[in-house]
Amino acid sequence: MKTPGRGSIIAALLKKELIAYSRDKLYLFLTVLTLVFVVAAFWLMPDRVDESITLGISPPLQTIIEEGTEVFTAMGMAPEQIEELQRAGLSAGDEGLDLVELEREEDLSAVIEGKLEVWRTDDGRLILRDREAGQEKPTGARRVTVGVGIALPRGFISRVASGQQDTVVTVYSDATVPPQIRGAMRSFVREAAYQLAGRELPVALPEEDTIILGVDRAGRQVSVRQKLVPMLAFMILLIETFAMASLISVEVLQRTVTAIMVTPARVFDFLASKSIFGTALALFQGLIVLGLVGAFTATNWSLLVAAVFIGAMMFTGVSMVVGSAGKDFLGQIFLAMLFTVPLIIPAFSVLFPGSAAAWVKALPTYPVLHALVEATIYEATWATLWPWLLGGLGWVAVLFGAGLFVLKRKVESL
Amino acid sequence: MTEPAIVVEGLCYSYGNIEAVKDVSFQVMPGEILGFLGPNGAGKSTTIKILTGQLNPKRGTARILDREIGHDDPILQAQIGVCFEEKNLYLNMSGLENLNFFASLFGIKKPDSMGVLRRVGLADRAKDRVHTYSKGMRQRMMISRAFINQPRVLFLDEPTDGLDPVTAASIRKTIKEEAERGAAVLLTTHDMHEADELSDRVAFINGGEIVALDTAENLKLEHGTRSVKVRLREGDDVREERIVLDEDGASDRIAKLAASKDLMTIHTEEASLEAIFIALTGRGLE
Repeated sequence: MKTPGRGSIIAALLKKELIAYSRDKLYLFLTVLTLVFVVAAFWLMPDRVDESITLGISPPLQTIIEEGTEVFTAMGMAPEQIEELQRAGLSAGDEGLDLVELEREEDLSAVIEGKLEVWRTDDGRLILRDREAGQEKPTGARRVTVGVGIALPRGFISRVASGQQDTVVTVYSDATVPPQIRGAMRSFVREAAYQLAGRELPVALPEEDTIILGVDRAGRQVSVRQKLVPMLAFMILLIETFAMASLISVEVLQRTVTAIMVTPARVFDFLASKSIFGTALALFQGLIVLGLVGAFTATNWSLLVAAVFIGAMMFTGVSMVVGSAGKDFLGQIFLAMLFTVPLIIPAFSVLFPGSAAAWVKALPTYPVLHALVEATIYEATWATLWPWLLGGLGWVAVLFGAGLFVLKRKVESL
Repeated sequence: MTEPAIVVEGLCYSYGNIEAVKDVSFQVMPGEILGFLGPNGAGKSTTIKILTGQLNPKRGTARILDREIGHDDPILQAQIGVCFEEKNLYLNMSGLENLNFFASLFGIKKPDSMGVLRRVGLADRAKDRVHTYSKGMRQRMMISRAFINQPRVLFLDEPTDGLDPVTAASIRKTIKEEAERGAAVLLTTHDMHEADELSDRVAFINGGEIVALDTAENLKLEHGTRSVKVRLREGDDVREERIVLDEDGASDRIAKLAASKDLMTIHTEEASLEAIFIALTGRGLE
């Protein structure tokens, strides 16, 4: 009696999986919806980071400098140097400081408070709009949001230089401005006053002007869109976990697996088909997402394939556990969430600045996510990422092994 | 001399402390239908699960087609067909897809799935998904799936349970055809009529033990009460009398009644399998 080979049995089981998956309308719909959602979310997110700070100032910088010309001259500055100072003030925007210069302190206060709107024309002219008074939106201009501003008294430079103690500088800020920015503004004013007063600062300055911790990404900040890439890939893996768990639990609850087990097919064939199908499905869709968001480059594609493959195996292992244990749809959703939410946390941690907490780093998906982030955002190569991928494979051994063990036990107990 | 297709000796199985199958022994010849008759929980399905490799026996041996069970044996599995009590079909696949899938697991390159579906009267619904089938149609699908590999040994667990008489009769006819083809059939049921109609031999199983095993006729002769029922006219009324043939003077009494002008009808009475089962076990089949 000739019996079919393992390969042909597994191929038959895979074909059946594909039919079953394609006929599961709920998960097919969820998969397509998630694909559309994640790709749309990616392209809707800003792809640049605005590094400039908008600062309101009253009176205008040029007025302040003109009023202080005598002081500058007395300090030994040549007229060319004073002109240079004025030019530097005007070109502050190029250095990331967007100055909104207003003549009157009352206007600055009203702007910060939101009572007045500031609009800037293409040629740099500022227009104030009182919306409550029914003024129309200026045409050919864009609105500028000013969250913080400094109001200097008239003759500020000469007053400070002469050591007048009653010189009052007001820093205006709205409630949304972080305290760090407010503090920075106060420090800026205090330091300017010290400089103008000709006194030494009461603190020693480090030799370097700025100390950057980690990679200096000034001018090439990571946008939200870029940060989303790993999370999008993980989102699709999450949906595939649900889908695969559903396929497994249907097979277990309806006992169709028992019918398979009384044919020449063995438990090994069943587990192999679930492993191959689950991993291939998740890998395929993860790669589609990465492709649609343009994550692949000539140098990182193999890294991304490897990272998504490892992630796909992890989530397939989880789906086996969930599918074996889930008694019904709700129970399955609960278990899937219980297992997958911790696995997705590292993907969220990328969205927030700073390095991840130690417990996040201990999660199984962290090494894979780290590799994905480094490969998609920071152009890292195999040379630096192979230990992370190896760590991910270690977790695969744990999660996938657990999935195989639980599913095998379940099938054998039916 | 034809070898038995199924040989079971001293088979035992327990779920924890509960002994489900106790020292069960029997044989089934090719082309024979052995009816396993017993109430729910008697050990019928457990015996089938052991013989189809789903459970490993705690003690005893079983050989099917001269191959020992209890090990992963694709050669043996390729020659058996199983119809489960639960309708474990792929509901999102059509009847034809279900059969083609299982045929591929048996390594059948060009299965005659349509032919099999025609036999069970499902050819016109072959391409419809199984979730649209009625209960009877699903049961016929189960039977057709068990036949797809033309098995030499068939295990049928309650194949007509809960079906309407027409569908049940259609399924019984198909089972008989399989036996005529030469398949050894082990049929579990708690339907005494089905066991009587289909089985060449019947095994009564109760509490995990086989309490009787023989042809239905022999069981009735051995364990049943032979009697005749006589209807007599008494004036304007009709009187019924039952005469047990094994009692003393029964022949004379029958002869006397037969000669009477008041005799209306006389019928022989045969013991039912259920009555015999109750007599042997002290409990019913439900």
